[in-house]
Amino acid sequence: MTALLDIRGLTIDIARDGGPARVVDGIDLAIQQGESVGIVGESGCGKSLTMLSLVGLLPNRIRATGGSAMFGGRDLLKLGPKELRKVRGSEIGFIFQDPMTSLNPVIRVGDQIAEALIWQKGLAKEAAQARAVELLELVGIPGPAERARAWPHELSGGMRQRVMIAMGLAGHPRLLIADEPTTALDVTIQAQIVDLVRELKDKMQMAVVWITHDLALIAGLADRIAVLYAGTVVEDAPVSAIFERPTHPYTRGLLASLPTLAGAAMERLPSIGGTPPEPGRRPPGCPFAPRCAHAVAACAEAVPRLAPVPGSDPRHRVACPVMTERAAA
Amino acid sequence: MFAYILRRFILWVPSVLLVMLAVYALAFYGAGDPIKLIFLRAPGDVAYDPAKIEAIRDQAGLNRPFIVQFGGYIWNLLQGNFGNSLVSGRSVWAMVKAAAPVSFQLGLCAILVTAIVAIPLGMIAGLRQNSRLDYIILGTAVALWAIPAYVAGPLLMVLLLAVLPDGSVPYGWGGIFSVKVLLPLIVLSFQPIALILRQTRAAVIEVMSEDYVRTARAKGVPELVVALRHILRPVLTPVVTQLGLIMITIVNGAIFVELVFGLPGLGRLTVSALTNSDFPVILAITLIGSFLVMLSNLLVDLLYPLLDPRAADAKGAR
Amino acid sequence: MTAIAEDDRPSSLWRDAWKRLRRNRLAVIGLFIIAILVIVAAFGPWMSPYDFLSQNLDARNQPPSGLHWLGTDDLGRDVLSRLIYGARTAFLVAVGVTVAAVLIGVVLGAIAGFYGGAFDRFVMWFTDMTMSVPQLLLVVVINASLKQPISLWMEARYMETLNPIWRNSAIIDFVLVFGSMALITWPPYARLVRAQVLSVRGRPYVTAARALGLTNRIILMRYVLPNAMGPLIVAVSAGLGTAMVLESAFSFLGVGVTPPTPSWGNMISDGLRVWTNYPHLLLAPAAVLAVVTVAFNFLGDGLNDALNPKGQK
Repeated sequence: MTALLDIRGLTIDIARDGGPARVVDGIDLAIQQGESVGIVGESGCGKSLTMLSLVGLLPNRIRATGGSAMFGGRDLLKLGPKELRKVRGSEIGFIFQDPMTSLNPVIRVGDQIAEALIWQKGLAKEAAQARAVELLELVGIPGPAERARAWPHELSGGMRQRVMIAMGLAGHPRLLIADEPTTALDVTIQAQIVDLVRELKDKMQMAVVWITHDLALIAGLADRIAVLYAGTVVEDAPVSAIFERPTHPYTRGLLASLPTLAGAAMERLPSIGGTPPEPGRRPPGCPFAPRCAHAVAACAEAVPRLAPVPGSDPRHRVACPVMTERAAA
Repeated sequence: MFAYILRRFILWVPSVLLVMLAVYALAFYGAGDPIKLIFLRAPGDVAYDPAKIEAIRDQAGLNRPFIVQFGGYIWNLLQGNFGNSLVSGRSVWAMVKAAAPVSFQLGLCAILVTAIVAIPLGMIAGLRQNSRLDYIILGTAVALWAIPAYVAGPLLMVLLLAVLPDGSVPYGWGGIFSVKVLLPLIVLSFQPIALILRQTRAAVIEVMSEDYVRTARAKGVPELVVALRHILRPVLTPVVTQLGLIMITIVNGAIFVELVFGLPGLGRLTVSALTNSDFPVILAITLIGSFLVMLSNLLVDLLYPLLDPRAADAKGAR
Repeated sequence: MTAIAEDDRPSSLWRDAWKRLRRNRLAVIGLFIIAILVIVAAFGPWMSPYDFLSQNLDARNQPPSGLHWLGTDDLGRDVLSRLIYGARTAFLVAVGVTVAAVLIGVVLGAIAGFYGGAFDRFVMWFTDMTMSVPQLLLVVVINASLKQPISLWMEARYMETLNPIWRNSAIIDFVLVFGSMALITWPPYARLVRAQVLSVRGRPYVTAARALGLTNRIILMRYVLPNAMGPLIVAVSAGLGTAMVLESAFSFLGVGVTPPTPSWGNMISDGLRVWTNYPHLLLAPAAVLAVVTVAFNFLGDGLNDALNPKGQK
């Protein structure tokens, strides 16, 4: 079975005065039909840029410079602006982080949803507006007909994020990318939004990519997790394997810094020392080596590649020769 | 709504009164005695006789205390009496009524021209930020801004002189639909166009980096629709505000343009009143100018909720 | 890697801004033209080929020639020399007016923003008012009505004291022209500073400074005003150009710097009377004024981009 989306060797550069700086450095990632994948990493590790690059939404001065992204038999990175526009929304839908700033303040929410239908499905205005009301109902907004006529500022944060979801689903995409959809919301609302997306995913049989830095959130959601560090995938495994047998030192660090109910209340949470390298100032070899407690001399020489972890799930791969060897031993 | 307009008007009254008081005081203490000025101007007709002047002053009430005179002026004003010109003796109201249509028509057309020219060009420059096209548009705008109307006017006339076969330069007033109006209209619009264009460009650049523009693109909306719907509409809010403020630039500019092109409007009336220290006329024009500016600000405020739904709510809550 | 070496230097806000400014070609051109203006204004008397007052009635209204590069005016005075002296006037007007306006604006704006209350309301009402009457008219009225009484008063002082300073008409000019121009140009500065102060006042570090027991005055000088510097510099750079244009507008209306002191404004308005026959008398000063105004605008835009890098994204 071919993957829905197959990213290979993707590189993304920021144009700077002193020459380009690499933010995403050879990402390999495949997403299967109907799969739910979490992409986890610190801010600035390139997780959002990777997804934005697929549909040509990178900000100015940032550009995908290499690799391929096969989707439905086409390389998304080679499509022209017109073809990419047709992919956006109708094949790959987006939900963005901040519902406060992601809705246009001077357009009624119903019209903003209808707009997607008009341009993707060629619906007439009335039909699109009627469908927008249905979509609002689908995402659980009470009184959808009245809410469609509301302005964004009249809705609460949770409501706005539901509107964003309705917009992302309007074109019935095969892949929905949820870019930290809950970080800007209250904890109680977070759970509702997450449940809603999960439920809709099953109903509409989409694949969903969750971009997040919140491992705890993703644990109950994703089938698989890819951990990103400094623009590369350092570990890619089914959720159970990540939590049971975290292998990369960075993944272990992330998991160790999660608070647990069992942990002693007064104990300080362990954290990873140091900071990730800035784009363009990546050390040679493994980018995590300077912060890694297990680093050996070889780590600073060659960039490690993803390799299967012996004795774990066959889909569990990690980019750390040191840990792979230990697992084999 | 009506209460809001009324409140704005009531707030405007004290400021305009203060300005008129200042102008009146300058006339009273500065330029000197209007009667004396008349005599000085027409020394041949009437012998300069201090006693006679005193008598006329007494009769005209000019020897009363300043504040009484100012009060009297305002009282007359409230009854629609603007007084008479010191120079021609004609009713100021009649003079203003004759001149105002020329200036009003010209000014309104200038605002229209400004909006039609500046907003699209500013959009294009902003959307293509730092491109060659952007530099050309922006450079032209800065140049237009820097060349005063009284220089641009004559220069354009030289150009026309060279181009037109019969050597007739448009001069004077032939109604708002006459071809003659084109040149003054263009010159009067130069500075407003430059200001609005730069404002539009800056707003476009700001809005372009907003999250909701990215959302619109992510929905698969075509670029043109993104520009006209998602970028232009939020941009209009600050730009229309600025269009209201531009009124002052146009009122100021009209003075020069009317002088250069020989248009019988309020601007020319102002200059002749200034050179003759014809204070009743100056006072009336100050009042009208200030009223116009207040009116345009009020219009913008009333338009605001239509442009930005958030403002509508804020007003409702007040 | 030079880029990295440069980045490793301790970078300050001002050095970064300067770096960005240097990259902006238009701003550099503007800066260059302004530098020339300053040099000409400072050393003009030694640079000009003729005295700006010396009349040569045999050589009136001459077109540009080898002898008079930009020709002569209706009194046979060398246009180039008058332009060079005019640079001095232009510079004085621009700096004098802007300094006065900025001083008034910063003081009133800072106090209004920092202390709020009735004073704040009054200042805002006053700026609203001055910004909502046709200011040009107001200033012309002030000038037109005060010029005569003041010159009469000065003449009387001269008669009393015989001190020639009372006969120097340039003083009235500068006091009146500067004063009235500053009067209409300060409100925007006041609003700008007030807005900055309001946005800074509530920040945690100001609260922290207050908690440390610093006095209002120190907080204002040390924390609040430096934050307002960026926008203020941009406004000043545009204001310098505006002041020059304003002076020429005054001259055109007959209330600017009094002849024979040369200003570009009164040269333009003189030129306007004869431009159909002697276009160079209008073109030369108009072109110089336009170039300098554009230069200040280029610099202002460049400074704006350099000091507010956020807008560049």
